[in-house]
Amino acid sequence: MNQPVIKLEHVSKTIGKKTIIDDLSFDIYGGEVFGFLGPNGAGKTTTIRMIVGLMKLSKGNITIHGHSIKTQYKDAIKHVGAIVENPEMYKYLSGYQNLIHYGRMISGITKERIMEIVEVVGLAERIHDKVKRYSLGMRQRLGLAQGLLHKPSVLILDEPTNGLDPAGIREIRHYIRKLAQEEGIAVIVSSHLLSEMELMCDRIGIIQQGKLVGVETVRDFVQSDETMQVQFTVDQPSKASQIIMETLSLRHIKHNETIIELKIKRDDIPLVCESLVHAGIKLYAITSVAKTLEDKFLEVTGGSGIA
Amino acid sequence: MLKFFNLIQNENMKIYRKGSTKVMILILLTLVVTVGLIFKFGTKDKPITSEWKQELIAENQQYQKQVEQSNSGPEKKYYQKEIAKNEYRIDHNVKPVSGKNIWNFTNEMTGMTQLIIIFTIIVVSTSISSEFTWGTIKLLLIRPVSRTTILLAKYVSSLIYSIFMILLLFAFSWFIGGILFGFGGADILNLQYVNGHVQEINWVLYEFKQYGLLCVQLIVMVTLAASIASIFRNSSLAIGLSIFLTMAGSIIIQFLSQFEWVKYVLFVNMDLNQYIDGIPFREDMTMGFSLSVLAVYYLIFAIFGWLFFTKRDVAS
Ligand SMILES: Nc1ncnc2c1ncn2[C@@H]1O[C@H](COP(=O)(O)OP(=O)(O)OP(=O)(O)O)[C@@H](O)[C@H]1O
Ligand SMILES: [Mg+2]
Repeated sequence: MNQPVIKLEHVSKTIGKKTIIDDLSFDIYGGEVFGFLGPNGAGKTTTIRMIVGLMKLSKGNITIHGHSIKTQYKDAIKHVGAIVENPEMYKYLSGYQNLIHYGRMISGITKERIMEIVEVVGLAERIHDKVKRYSLGMRQRLGLAQGLLHKPSVLILDEPTNGLDPAGIREIRHYIRKLAQEEGIAVIVSSHLLSEMELMCDRIGIIQQGKLVGVETVRDFVQSDETMQVQFTVDQPSKASQIIMETLSLRHIKHNETIIELKIKRDDIPLVCESLVHAGIKLYAITSVAKTLEDKFLEVTGGSGIA
Repeated sequence: MLKFFNLIQNENMKIYRKGSTKVMILILLTLVVTVGLIFKFGTKDKPITSEWKQELIAENQQYQKQVEQSNSGPEKKYYQKEIAKNEYRIDHNVKPVSGKNIWNFTNEMTGMTQLIIIFTIIVVSTSISSEFTWGTIKLLLIRPVSRTTILLAKYVSSLIYSIFMILLLFAFSWFIGGILFGFGGADILNLQYVNGHVQEINWVLYEFKQYGLLCVQLIVMVTLAASIASIFRNSSLAIGLSIFLTMAGSIIIQFLSQFEWVKYVLFVNMDLNQYIDGIPFREDMTMGFSLSVLAVYYLIFAIFGWLFFTKRDVAS
């Protein structure tokens, strides 16, 4: 856990005159799921392509288990399993033949191992069908199987839940968490489904226009603010609003028949409770409406525009 | 080494499991049978009579007239070659053989190698560029295997495919020829025209020589196709361009034949048969010269193909 498994040091990529990735540095440790978040065109796929050696770095260095991707490619990449964008397979071969194909490129992959991983990704029934007859979700599962075939210690997944049904997403999410927790694998996931990231990741890195905007743990990320959104369920909302406005010297508070919702400092909550109870208002519930990652994400990146 | 064997196995799986490869094999076999049947039933053969010497003399007089009338270089040279061969038969008492025997047929079938060259161009081009068009290259390259080894496996497996096809062609045309014209007759002599001299050669040996020379052409063309495929990463372009160059090559060189530098053009040197049984394109060209020119082209193709495959980003 102390030594980073993947290390990006001042990585830049220029194509033509355009700087697509600009001075990216971060570390990823064993046992953690790292979420790579950013709007369309931010440079997530480009970064992943550089980590797996499909694209060269214009500047900087990437090491995997201490092996530089630039000078010791084979030693670095043998620890890595990856899906880059869509998992494209040989369509005229069966899923099983595809796995045999990738298995032959690494030493020590037995037929038993292949069938084992096929079971894990839940493709056992259809594994001997031609890939052209697979659905998108089945291809995604096959892609995951090819990435896990050699028991990598680094798993890189570019939008792995793309095309999966809710049950499939949950399954994959649990499996990824299990891999990280039980086998100490370092996982990098990029995804557009922000709520997904929240459930799956330990840390999140936000990338925008090729620059890293911030890296934070999911908990900090969502709850770093002192103020929080809180709902009070009461019997007389208008009267209660008046009281709260007086207590906190606010001008306006949103409310409907039963619920008052407001932004409030953590320390002010007991105060509000006290004054409400004092005024004889029945308080049924206080719920904190946690800010979702999505809200936070839009806040940090300033809207949903494509970079 | 084991890894490389595995990679070859992978490429073979991808080549032979494809429907188009099976169609190619079927086309080749069908053509051999069809041509065999046409050869047997469709053409009339002049019977060889006891006055064959007189006939050859008459034929030569005919040819001589053609030589005087013709003003095209290659045509003149062709008749001169035929005259020389006929004179050799008369002088050395070598009776011509009927045009229809197993060796003659299999010899005709060596021409099918041109088709095998086109098939192999298709195989090597798709093997390289379809990985890019399908996007499978992304999963192929992120393995502890160098890009050079992966490219080499694709190249070698395509050449193995062509060897398989040539062996199949030879065996099948021998088999069909035997059924249609009778087996045996391996001792029949054939005449070849080398540097203005006529030589006797055994049919079987002659045929192996033919295949050997065609293989040189095959290797050069396949390497050209492979390098085009890895430069443009597009199968249709690679296949189209290589086949166009093969077809148009002979036309282009006719236009350029007046220039001296034409002897350095790839396609002029591709047909090595011109030194075994025919007339060199230019008098100052020899087998050694052509082989050297081809070697230089080969190296250029190989280096460019390799550079583009191994050094360029996989960006889409
Ligand atoms: N081959 C290329 N040549 C030039 N520019 C490119 C190339 N590939 C990508 N880009 C540019 O690099 C930027 C980052 O692209 P990238 O695919 O990494 O984004 P992404 O974060 O993966 O986006 P998405 O969420 O849509 O998958 C984009 O602005 C894109 O236009
Ligand atoms: Mg992307």
